[in-house]
Formats: sequence, structure tokens, C-alpha cells
Amino acid sequence: MGWRSALAVFLIGILVSGLCGILAYFLPVVAAAYAQTGQQARSGRAGPAPLPAAPTPASAIRGAAFTVLLMGSDDDSKFPSDAVLTQSMILVRVDPAARHVTMLSIPRDLWVPFAGGGTAKIDAAYALGGATRAIATVEHDFGIRVDEYVWVGLKGLIKLIDYLGGVDLTTANPVLDDFYPADVESTDPYAYKRVAVLPGPQHMDGLHALEYVRSRHDDIQEDFGRSQRQQQVLLALRTKVRNVNPSDLPAIVATFNAEFKTSFNLLDLGRLRSLLALASQITDPSQVEQLILTGDYTSSSVVDGQDVLLPNWNTILPLVQKNFT
Amino acid sequence: MLLTAAVWAATGAGTYLYIGSHRGTIAAQARTPGEARSGSSSPLSRLPGTMYIVQQGTLYRLQGGAFTALLQSATWTQPAVAPSGQSLLVVRRDYDFSDLYLVDTAGHVQAQLTHDANRNVQLNHWAFYPRFSADGGQVFFSYDAKDRFNSYDVVLSIYQMPVRGSFGQARKWTTPEPYTGGDLQPIPLGPLGVIYTKYTFDQATNRILSQVWLTSRIGAVSRPLTDAAADCSQPSLAPDGRRLALICTGGTQFASVEVASFDGASLGPRQVLVGGQLAAQPTWAPDDSGLVYLAPQGLSGHFELWFQPLPPPPPPTPTAVPANSPTPRRAGAARPTATPSPPTPSPSPPRPPAAIQLTTDLDFDATSTIAWHL
Repeated sequence: MGWRSALAVFLIGILVSGLCGILAYFLPVVAAAYAQTGQQARSGRAGPAPLPAAPTPASAIRGAAFTVLLMGSDDDSKFPSDAVLTQSMILVRVDPAARHVTMLSIPRDLWVPFAGGGTAKIDAAYALGGATRAIATVEHDFGIRVDEYVWVGLKGLIKLIDYLGGVDLTTANPVLDDFYPADVESTDPYAYKRVAVLPGPQHMDGLHALEYVRSRHDDIQEDFGRSQRQQQVLLALRTKVRNVNPSDLPAIVATFNAEFKTSFNLLDLGRLRSLLALASQITDPSQVEQLILTGDYTSSSVVDGQDVLLPNWNTILPLVQKNFT
Repeated sequence: MLLTAAVWAATGAGTYLYIGSHRGTIAAQARTPGEARSGSSSPLSRLPGTMYIVQQGTLYRLQGGAFTALLQSATWTQPAVAPSGQSLLVVRRDYDFSDLYLVDTAGHVQAQLTHDANRNVQLNHWAFYPRFSADGGQVFFSYDAKDRFNSYDVVLSIYQMPVRGSFGQARKWTTPEPYTGGDLQPIPLGPLGVIYTKYTFDQATNRILSQVWLTSRIGAVSRPLTDAAADCSQPSLAPDGRRLALICTGGTQFASVEVASFDGASLGPRQVLVGGQLAAQPTWAPDDSGLVYLAPQGLSGHFELWFQPLPPPPPPTPTAVPANSPTPRRAGAARPTATPSPPTPSPSPPRPPAAIQLTTDLDFDATSTIAWHL
């Protein structure tokens, strides 16, 4: 072998070694990308209640507005794996061109017809048919397209917040709850504990942020108050996410383990980068609109012995059409 | 050949480590105050008197620019210093209850004032925000009495009990609005009553908002000093009793430090001292030269100690107070005015100088009060 050939082999070896280093670093991301991300969001493609075929998702067009369904679940042992209720469902409309975000919390007790048949509280849609059925139900009832979804288990949320170094926010009022589920620290899924989140600006780690967004027994607004708190923590998280870069992805993926599923493709680094850039551009509170379905939008009732919220579609649908289409 | 393989391996490992070294700076750890050193000319060392402040459950004393840990090995929070400066009230917070303790200024526990643990967890209690009365003989605090008919409604009320007494002697001052969190952060005014923060549900905005209230005595009708839309809390009375510092959010995530004159019955117009931040725990300097507060730089980061210098307040207007009732100089010595005076419009006060950041990378507990004494 001449010296030119030897040099070429050496340089190729250097290149391959560098690529191996990159691959080794991002291997957890690649594995998670195949196992947990890039999953189907469109209900029309699969699921128990196929809807009419939809046009190309708006999210496929970079810069076009898109809608994400965020879901957070209890992942305790009261339920079979991946058949859990969603404690939180938040529709997020992102308009990159206008640099504007709209968030709409869907009450967990909203009594709605399910895609595929039946009527129940909307928090059961994920338990009965996973993300596909939850999305199909939201699309069917609210008359909108959901382009992407993100599902996070509550333990995953704790880990994410801790990885990001906690969140900083102003809690609006004391959150006191003598019957808060102690399922995160205890092996007994039915255990309770007392929590007291004091009011005012503060730093919260993952466990305390979860207590803040999950408690609902001592809130005069019940689930609506909790929805406001969930949106608040999401916005605080957005502030933290501005400091994330692609080098953080393996560690973030490792923190989530199986507590995270999404239709976003983690391997689409260009899109991820543009989303992170967008998050850093949304700094003014006026760029974020927060919607809660209180007042004229819902009414309390009892159906089949369950406390439920009956939707007033005459007021909900115009609101949703205005903000999510 | 061996050398070539080594270079290749080093390239791979180096690439891995290089990428790893470029992770975001998203979880920077705070230092402990004991690690912080300040020079004799630093703003921190020029603060008058002694300050008590909490970081991660440890109570620190700040004196001459040096921090000393006083209480640790538990979660200690919300110190309040006695008028004499010789003792402190501190909350010890456990997993699902909290108790008030009397400690000396060296951090030695003198007495446990409340006993809030119970075998039945749902019968545990919370005690927070202790404050000495002006004569040092009483403690005012927030406490969750149980509703026997509705165990879901956990709300805090303002209580008063003797510092050297028992909870059996405690008296309830306020009636909180159910399911709101209740009444917090009492500031005893002596004969004038108690200032405190009340949380109420605001029908107009569908939100729970905070207001600073004044009640003159147990059982008396309380009245708000601030409007609900301002969403003000964390009142702090200046040593001269004539100014009140507050945290106001206007229902947003921004928490501003504001200050208003106080005549013993009502507040004057509020002036924003620090806006656009997550500011918390305004606490007056014992010499009235300004106030400290906790806030990160911007909307995220470690909660650091800041000092806001303030000019002395203008002399009181003669018409605001009846001739036979001098303007209160100290909370404990103040007497009620015959007729409450409404907030009087006044010319815009001069803009105060910029606040000075006193610490870096310390991340104090922003839900804990700060105590400061000469």
C-alpha cells in the first residue's frame, strides 16, 4: 500500500471514528425516535373510527400554523399499562408566522361522544384507544384537525422538569389539598398525602410542580383552576426550553424512558431547531392566549352517577373555530 | 498500526465528549451561601444590622456580608425576628404538616409553639407566616382549622396566640373564603389590627386573586386596602409604619415590587419600584433606607437578593390625620385614626435609583420571608 492509500485509509478512519462518536452520542435519541416518536397523529390514518381522509397536514409545511394535542396521564398502577386516563388535555395552536400561541384546556370531565361510538368523559378516550382515539374524538367533537400530539406520563413530567433545572413561576394562590394522590412516592396507588403549595413567585422542582398542576380538591374552580395551573407550568417550561440545544436530546430522552410519546419526529433536527427557535421568539405574554372552558361553555351535571361537565357546543365550537382553524 | 487505531479511537471518543460538552446550561446548581464570599466594600457587606434568610431549607444569618448557617437538618422556612432582636420565630416544615418554633439568634430551639402532627394524616395542620406582635408577646400566623363537615376545604386563617402559651389559647382573627387558600401573611399593627393577604374568587376574571386587607380586631369587619385586579400580596410594613411594600401581579406572571404610603387605615397610590420580574418577599431595611427582595434576572433563574434604595417618605399631609391622633410612627405605637382617609392623589414620586443585585448563584427560597433587624 502506497503512502497515498495509507493516508486515505487513515483519514477515512478518522471520519468514521468521528461519525461513530456522533452516533454513539445520539444513539438513545435514535432508539427513542423509533420507539416513542414519529408516531401517527392523524386519526384518519388509523384507529377505531376512521374519519374521512384529510389533506396534507398543515404541520408538514414549515411556517404554517399547526395544532398539537398535549396529553398528560396518571401512569400509576391503578390502570393497565398504556390504558390510562388523561389528567390533562390541552390543544395548542402554534402560528410560527404570527409568532402566536393559543392554548385551550379541555376539561377532563367533559361528557362527549367518542369517535367510534359511545359517550363518556373525554379523559377516557386515551385509555380506551390510545392517542389515536383521543385525537379522533377531539377532532370529531371540536371540528378541527390535530396535526401532532405529545403524551407525557406524570413521572415523565417530573423528570423533564428536574432535568431542565426546575421551573420558575408565580403561583396565583395557595394550593392546599389533604387528599392528593401519593402514587409517585408510594407503592400504594390509592395512598393520599397532604400538599401545600404556597403562593407567589418561586422555583419548583418536578415533584412540586406536579403537585401544583395536579391538585384539584381545594380549588373553588375545581378542574378549571387546575387547567389554568397546567397552562402556567407549560409556559414556564417553555422559558426553560429556550436553553435546550440538540446536545441535550440524549439526556432528555433518557429522563423520559417510556413516559413520553409523540408524533413529532425527533430525528427531524431541522424542525426541532426551528421549534426551539420559535419558542425563544415568543417572549411577550401577549403572544400567548390561554383559553379555559368555564362559564357559558360548560355546565355541571351528573350522568350515570358521575360528576360531569356538559359541553355547550353552541359556544364552544365558534371559539374553537376562531382559534384553531 | 497500533498508533493509528489509538488515533481513531481518540477521535471517536473526542467527538462524543465534544458534543456532550455543548449541552445547554439549563440546570446550573446554586452555591450555598457559606461558599459566597463578599469583600468588605461589597454592597452585601454594607447592609445594616442582621438578616435572616433561607436557602433550600437551611436558615442563614447574614451579618457584615458573611452568611452563617443557623438551622439545618430539616426544612426551615419563614423566619420572623422579635422586636428585641433576641429571638426568632421559624417554621419547620415536614412532609405533610408544619410547626412554629421559637429559636434564639444562635439557632438553638427554645420552644415548639405548635404541634400539628397527628396519627391521622388528614388531621395534620399547616402553620405558616409567623410574626411577632409589636410587644413581642404574641405570635400571629396562618393556620388551617379543619372543617368537620367538608374535609376537602383546606383554608388558612389568621390566628394569634401567646409566644409562651399554648395553642389552646389561640384566637382566630379572620374568616377565609372557602376553597381559595385563605388568609395569609399577617402583619400585626398593635391597636390598629392586622394587615394580611386574603385570597378570593373574582367573578369578573374567573380567577382566585389576592388582596391586602386590614382588620381592626377579632370579629370586626375587614376591608381591602388594594383592589382585586391588582392581585397584591406579601405586604411588608416599613419600620416607620408609614409605607407598605407589596408584590402585585395584576393577574399575570410578572410580579412587581410596589410601595404605597400607609396612614394606619388606608393606602396611598401605589408606585412600581421593580416591574417585569418574578419579585418576591419585599422586606424593609431596619433603618428605612430601602428594601430587599428576591428575584431572578429576567423571568427564570436563581432567586437572588436585591436591594432597592429608597428616599425617605415625604412628610404626612396635615389634613390626612386628625390633630389629636398623630400619624403612626411605629406599628406598635400607632393609634387608630378617627376617620379613615381615602387614598389622596399625589404628584408622581421621583423615580428611585436602580436596584442593586447583592448575590449571585445562591437561589434563595422565594416562598420564605426574610427577617431583618438592626
